[in-house]
Amino acid sequence: MKTLKITTILIAIFIATNPASISQNLTGKQIIEKVYNRDTGNDQTSDLSMILINAQNKERVRKLKQFIKDYGTVEKKIMFFVSPADVKNTSFMNWSYDDESKNDDQWIYLPALRKTKRISSDSKSDYFMGSDFTYDDLGDRKLEDDTHTLLMEENVDGKLCYVVESTSVDKDYMYSKTITWIDKATFIGVKKEFYDEDGELLKIMTVGNSQTINGIIVVMKITMENMQKKHKTIMQLSNVNVNNGVSDSYFTERMMMRGI
Amino acid sequence: MEKLLNKLLKTPWITMLFVVVISVVFFMVMKKNSRMETDLDKYMPQNHPAFIYSNQAEEWFNIKDGIIIALENKNGIFNSETLDTLKQLTKHLQKFKEINKDDVTSLYTADNIVGTEDGMDVKRFFKRVPKSEKKLQELKTNVENNEMIFGRLVSDDETVTVIIAEIGDGVFTQEFYNEILNVAKNSETKDTKIYVAGRPIVEGTMALLGPADMKKMVPIVLLVIFIVLFITLRSFKGTLITLGVVFFSTIWAFGLMAAVNIPIYAVSTMIPVMLIAIGVADGIHLYTHLHTFVDHNPNASKKEAVTDMLKHLWKPVVMTSVTTAVGFISLLTSQVYPVKYFGIFTAFGVMMAMVFSLVFLPAGIMIFGLPKAKKINMDEDKGGSSHSKTANSFAAWIIKHKYVSILGTAAVIIFSLIGMQEIWINSSFLEKFEKNSEIVQTDKFINEHFGGTSTLNLILDSKGKKDMFKEPEVLKLVNKMQKDVDNQLQVVGNTFSLADYINRMNKVMNADNEAYNTIPDDKNMIAQYLLLYEMSGDPENLNKVVDYDYEKLNVTFQLKSDNSKAINSALDVIHTYKDDFNKLGIELNYAGSGYKGLVFTDLILEGQIKSLILSLITIIVLLSLMFKSVKIGLIGSVPIIITALISFGIMGFLGIPLNTTTALLSSIAIGIGIDYAVHFLEQYRHNATNTDNKMIAAQKTMAHSGKAIIFNAIVVIAGFMVLLFSVFPPNRELGALVSLNMFTSFVGTLTIMLVLLYQSNIYFKKK
Repeated sequence: MKTLKITTILIAIFIATNPASISQNLTGKQIIEKVYNRDTGNDQTSDLSMILINAQNKERVRKLKQFIKDYGTVEKKIMFFVSPADVKNTSFMNWSYDDESKNDDQWIYLPALRKTKRISSDSKSDYFMGSDFTYDDLGDRKLEDDTHTLLMEENVDGKLCYVVESTSVDKDYMYSKTITWIDKATFIGVKKEFYDEDGELLKIMTVGNSQTINGIIVVMKITMENMQKKHKTIMQLSNVNVNNGVSDSYFTERMMMRGI
Repeated sequence: MEKLLNKLLKTPWITMLFVVVISVVFFMVMKKNSRMETDLDKYMPQNHPAFIYSNQAEEWFNIKDGIIIALENKNGIFNSETLDTLKQLTKHLQKFKEINKDDVTSLYTADNIVGTEDGMDVKRFFKRVPKSEKKLQELKTNVENNEMIFGRLVSDDETVTVIIAEIGDGVFTQEFYNEILNVAKNSETKDTKIYVAGRPIVEGTMALLGPADMKKMVPIVLLVIFIVLFITLRSFKGTLITLGVVFFSTIWAFGLMAAVNIPIYAVSTMIPVMLIAIGVADGIHLYTHLHTFVDHNPNASKKEAVTDMLKHLWKPVVMTSVTTAVGFISLLTSQVYPVKYFGIFTAFGVMMAMVFSLVFLPAGIMIFGLPKAKKINMDEDKGGSSHSKTANSFAAWIIKHKYVSILGTAAVIIFSLIGMQEIWINSSFLEKFEKNSEIVQTDKFINEHFGGTSTLNLILDSKGKKDMFKEPEVLKLVNKMQKDVDNQLQVVGNTFSLADYINRMNKVMNADNEAYNTIPDDKNMIAQYLLLYEMSGDPENLNKVVDYDYEKLNVTFQLKSDNSKAINSALDVIHTYKDDFNKLGIELNYAGSGYKGLVFTDLILEGQIKSLILSLITIIVLLSLMFKSVKIGLIGSVPIIITALISFGIMGFLGIPLNTTTALLSSIAIGIGIDYAVHFLEQYRHNATNTDNKMIAAQKTMAHSGKAIIFNAIVVIAGFMVLLFSVFPPNRELGALVSLNMFTSFVGTLTIMLVLLYQSNIYFKKK
């Protein structure tokens, strides 16, 4: 009896005095929260090249210029197509709201039509511009949408990572669960597996190199591969600027029509 | 040869045992290894350019055959209950392991592209089943305003809606079909009826129904043959042994097939048919001879009787079998593997039937004894001619009235040639079913409400020129062709291509103005619409109509019939656009199972006609060598030619289309025609050596071979007439045509061939 008491006390002291064990005690939810809340800057401008590769290894390459600004409750994004030539100057604007009940506002400007049109879509599980990323995959997912469980820790490419399983609260959601490998040092996701409604592996996202720009870590390359359709998307950023103060006037219909 | 056969007669038990033991071994192998090949793609020559292209295209555009599940509600489908059934059934189908989730299309899964005042909306028609009258009305309006859906997924009268579940090749099994039917039946409600149709169902059911029906019919066929054979042979033992020959040769043929691991194809089920028709012939000839011998020599011993039988008949038996086998081996020239196998294994079976006739049958007689002698009056002088009065007078009549035979044959040939003009090829699966069968009725029902249950895929190929199918000029031509085919042909109910997407987008982006339901003139506009669709709709949908680089286009035509006439009529109209497309550097190709079926049937026929001609030539050469006379070779081929001609002629007149089964049946003309001719010729030659009188030789031959031939014809015809009562129309056609072929072969041999033989003076010249 006595020994048990002593042991308990000793353990309690040990835990309380070991700083490393505090961070190790993060729950799955806390880890994901840190990932979602990582500082990615208030605004960003960059050149995006999007390479779509199908099962026959055919490629579609699209080059865009994009501007993103976070307004707290709303994130605004505007993109201009640079190539291919037949869609040059086509622009796309997306306002994404923190408010769950509010759908994204989306506009598209087709230069051939010389008109800006609102497009709407009722699902965040829509694929982004024909790529293998849904809007959700690109960062629109909310913390409370899933139940997060820390599975284990594992080494990926020499980085010690948390492995967190996130199961959707909404049973009808397109992913039954996702598993994310998160770099313990930076809280940046390194790899993510997406499982479909039937629990089968659907997609694998791998995060490539990142750069620190203006003190913010920016992921420069992400690859998403749909394992069932054998379709792949590579998103590559270049000429990235962060927190350089993007003017509010960029996120207007007038700007969409004017082009850059 | 004769010595060997006689030696074997000393040990009949061993011979018998040997045959039975090997048969048992083959039977075991069959039980273990035999499997039916139901995947129709496996039947097609995969290295044929049309198939290579079609298979590639099927992969590029994910072209698959669809199971169509139709929900009918006479009061209209826009009510919560029917829509809920639709939703649940769609979800259920998506969960099948045989079905890819994305390959299920229904109003529940479909995207609705709509124009709004200030833009465009792409959304599902419904996710939660609408309950209120207002919501239902809204859905109804949405469907009616979307021509990509209305008339395609929902019928124009709004009483039927379909779910299309596309499945890959070789997925269909009886269990899968039953499961689908079960799910469909269980989903039915008081107001909502559910139908299941589509090519996979038709193909699958046919692959299962044909052999299943055969399994039921064959025992009856055998029973009838047994009874008739018993009546003609007057011997139970003889009947049993003769059928034993057929039975064992069939087992050996299928046993060997199983041993070398070749699956049973649909055409392989024709092998027993051939072996029954051909195999009993030897037995009948042997027994007829035996009877004649015993009748004439009632006191002869078993050994003497059998020795005499073998002495006289081993040669014609070998000759008939070899020529028949060679005829079947000529099928090796076919490009279609199942037909090649059919040729080889039937030839093997025929050769085995020969061996059994010469070894097993005599052994059987040695063991079980001779048939009883019929009392005949030996004292009566017949002047050397035969004892059968009927045969004598018949032969005399035929020869006396030779012009009847000659003119009759000429008339029949002309008649057949006329009939052959009417012959048509049909690769339809559906038309193999009974008109009032559920499968045909369901198909008809869906065709009445929708574009059609059969599809033809036109693949436009710019040969590597990127973005060709974003050119307005090209898409306008495609659009025009689609409209043209749709308007010109009743049988084409729907067409679909990338042009439909562009039309729809153009309209929607211009405030739903019908005037913009066209292809825009600006290439960039088209490119931007496509980009827009990719961004807001499901880009997967576009992959079904155009390839990634916009250098290949898939245009789908929905047909209300899968018969060759329908497909060809569509091909004809499409072909009028060939030059226009070629000028733009675009090639026309085709894909899909309907088209492959058409090419496949053509291939079979082409091969069949080639092999018919080849085998005819080989047989004339063989006959000429065997009888050491070209004249005999030519005369001997007459029954074959007549049989084949009449067979095709009658098919033309009766409108029986040529398809894989009926085309292969012409082989039977060769197999049987040659048997009759050889037996008759050999007997005639034999009789000619004993007499100077042509008439007596003819009469004796008639009494002997003629009788055997008639017996043979009666037995097989009686057997195959049974198939006329089959529930599966192709099996009925089979029964009718086999009987017809037997009949013409026997009539041709005993009339025109006899006349020609008599007139030729062969074997009597020197005397």
